[in-house]
Amino acid sequence: MNEGTGSVASPPTHGPDAKSSRHLPSPWRSAAIYLAIPIVAGAALSASVGFSVAGIAVYLPTAGLDVFYSFLRMGAAYLLSLGFALAYGYYAATHRPGERVMIPILDILQSIPILGFFPVVIVLLLGFPTAGSWIGPNIASVVLIFTSMSWNMVFGVYESLKTLPAELKEAADTFALRGWLRFRRVLFPATINRLVYNSVLSWTGGWFFLVEAEIFTTNSHALAGIGSFLSFAASGHNGNEFLAGITVLVLVIAVLDFVVWRPLGRWAERFRYDQSPSGEAGAIEAPRDTSGRFRRAAAYVTRGVRTGVTRISTPLVQLASITVGAGRAPSERRRTATYYVGLGTILVIVWLMLIAIVVSVYGVFSGPIVPSVRSQIFGLPFAMGASIVRVVAAYALCLAIALPLAMWVARRPRANRVGLPVIEVIASFPATALFPVIIFELVPYISPEGAAILMLLTGMLWYLFFNLLSGIRALPPDLEEAARAFGLKGRQFVRRVLLPGVFPALITGSITAFGGGWNTLIVAEYLSAGPGKTLSLLGIGQRIDIGYAEPNGYPLMVAALFTLILTVITINELIWKPLYRRAVERYRYD
Amino acid sequence: MSLIRVEHVGKSFASRHGTMTIMQDISFEVKDSDFLAIVGPSGCGKSTLLRLIQGLDQPTSGQISFRDQPVRGVCSQMAMVFQSFALYPWLTVSQNVAFGLEALGWPKERIGPQVERYVTVTGLDGFQEAYPRELSGGMRQRVGLARALAVEPAVLLMDEPFSALDPLTAASLRDEVLQLWRDPQLPPDAVLLVSHNIEEAIELADRVIVFSRRPGHILAEVPVDLPRPRDRKSEAFYNLTDRVYSLITEGGQTPAPPTAAAEAPPRDG
Repeated sequence: MNEGTGSVASPPTHGPDAKSSRHLPSPWRSAAIYLAIPIVAGAALSASVGFSVAGIAVYLPTAGLDVFYSFLRMGAAYLLSLGFALAYGYYAATHRPGERVMIPILDILQSIPILGFFPVVIVLLLGFPTAGSWIGPNIASVVLIFTSMSWNMVFGVYESLKTLPAELKEAADTFALRGWLRFRRVLFPATINRLVYNSVLSWTGGWFFLVEAEIFTTNSHALAGIGSFLSFAASGHNGNEFLAGITVLVLVIAVLDFVVWRPLGRWAERFRYDQSPSGEAGAIEAPRDTSGRFRRAAAYVTRGVRTGVTRISTPLVQLASITVGAGRAPSERRRTATYYVGLGTILVIVWLMLIAIVVSVYGVFSGPIVPSVRSQIFGLPFAMGASIVRVVAAYALCLAIALPLAMWVARRPRANRVGLPVIEVIASFPATALFPVIIFELVPYISPEGAAILMLLTGMLWYLFFNLLSGIRALPPDLEEAARAFGLKGRQFVRRVLLPGVFPALITGSITAFGGGWNTLIVAEYLSAGPGKTLSLLGIGQRIDIGYAEPNGYPLMVAALFTLILTVITINELIWKPLYRRAVERYRYD
Repeated sequence: MSLIRVEHVGKSFASRHGTMTIMQDISFEVKDSDFLAIVGPSGCGKSTLLRLIQGLDQPTSGQISFRDQPVRGVCSQMAMVFQSFALYPWLTVSQNVAFGLEALGWPKERIGPQVERYVTVTGLDGFQEAYPRELSGGMRQRVGLARALAVEPAVLLMDEPFSALDPLTAASLRDEVLQLWRDPQLPPDAVLLVSHNIEEAIELADRVIVFSRRPGHILAEVPVDLPRPRDRKSEAFYNLTDRVYSLITEGGQTPAPPTAAAEAPPRDG
């Protein structure tokens, strides 16, 4: 696969429409959008909660301080991720024996839903060094943000070193360039382009998980930060306070975008190494539209999740095909009813074994399990089922929104010019920051179930949208022209040309969107902030939360985690892998 | 004086289907002020041989020596020009030219003037601060050439240096390489050119070594004593070209019409 310029990774620069001088230049447009968000949000909120400028201003200093704390956590997690990505990626790319172990480990780590790390990390670190200390919760939240930031960055480093053209390495060899100079002149610059694009994405995702982590920990432990600030404000129905938090958060995100990420993205363009040897004579590249960086960044993480799904061969499923398909050639081994029955049996056995391990380990260290917890553990499959239904419902909604939206943006210059920057700015805003409002203000109108699905939607939508957008844009124009020449129009065009054409992008987008969905479950299904203010819906995320919050609940939490991971792996293996293979085999047009 | 001596060199790789022999029993010599060309069909090991001579890889059998010292590890007295230019897109023209000098540990004050000198020699003046992607193919290969010359190598190794260029650019760059080689004030003392383009080899070189198909061995060493500048349309040139073509086609046992062989086959690894 041609990395970096793969099917989803190279959105074309904004076409001729970008020249139009009547419109604001891109940075100003984005700035306007950034400012518009709090205003629009404020107007929308004013209906249900009263607010005033003076009222907001009162809370600004506290909000500023809390955002600053959050920013410090983000910065620490980012620096950790950067160092980890460079060290791990460099070692894996340059040491063959290490690579064989390190890359599969990374594949597994990134296919585990990030929320899976949450409770474990918190339980391990909260009491550190003593119960009630501020050190433990802070380390825990930094570690959590780190887990959401680092995997794609590691792959960025690893893949850019692996795909570095052989001649560039050889040229360094001919001059016997070694050690530090080789790293500084050749290897490190080679990683910069993808490292920067992955950083944009990690940082955006980092806000999402930072807020989630802070909300999650506030359930029982106060951790000063913007997530807990917003959560607290919403639980008190304090619109002014909430808006102050949102305003400061948007401001910080916007400033970082303009001061750090945009200039970095422009600078990183220099480090791309896909120049063709034949060299289109005098090809001076048009200045790239930096606002496309979020799309590209999304494409990078998508590739990460997709390889995580497709590269890992699950022992479980292989076991099923060996036991059921024994005696037949592997190519003939068709997935029959027996296969699924066999697989189902194995899944149940593996699940029971995991539960048994959890129960007995707990039994050894802490004693027998409380009856109420035990019954909840055995109810886990139902909780999982409820969560699957919820995620699938949210996914269906996402598709219904993302596909028309992507078609509209991709095919209309004006939508592309005006709509896309708005969408990109909205997408860079952590939706988790609005969760408290959804829970405390919207539940009465849309029911708890509706609120949960709405929250899931925000965690899934963008992956699908940006993938579909790239997919539609990557459709070769001649296919479209040919369809038009044959008079294909409307629904026929969509069915025969557009949908098959974007099928690979749809699959990769769906894989990533589901990944995002699993990650959002933990907040979407259970949130408590004081008496009578609890959102609690039967689901696996809820069980993890309950297990975490209740005394003696840890075995429930760990069992729920195992159940979730087992489910995610099985879904990847049974649904996404075959679909992805099919997308690659049949619907490629390059 | 002998610069490079290649004695009974063979190279084979272990592959999934057993051992694959790339070349065997290669012997020849590069003398001071030689311009030597190696031609042969794709995959005959020409480029591999160039890398063995530079010391990027070790031969399986035989020995390569430079000024009577066996080549072990990368030899800094030689510099390579690549088919795909192999320029670092994140370094400016000047920084790319300085690349080899930095590796040699030259002090900064000496690198500057040296880079200026070879930027001028190769006709890159005014492009010092440009990045490779802003340059045309011909200009990029000039940077590749300047980078190799800046370390003042005794031998310039050229691996299909003109194959990725359009014919007109290639022709003018060939002339310039010839002039550089003939200038006693400037490096290199000798040039070793690998090419699949027989006309190009005969136009430039004093001697042409003809490789067979894989496993590559030397079919003949053809001296070219035509006066320079050489006229590709002259009868003597044509006869020589014809002789090399028939050597390759007979040696390879797969007759191919000369016109087909003149087209650019895929790069030989």
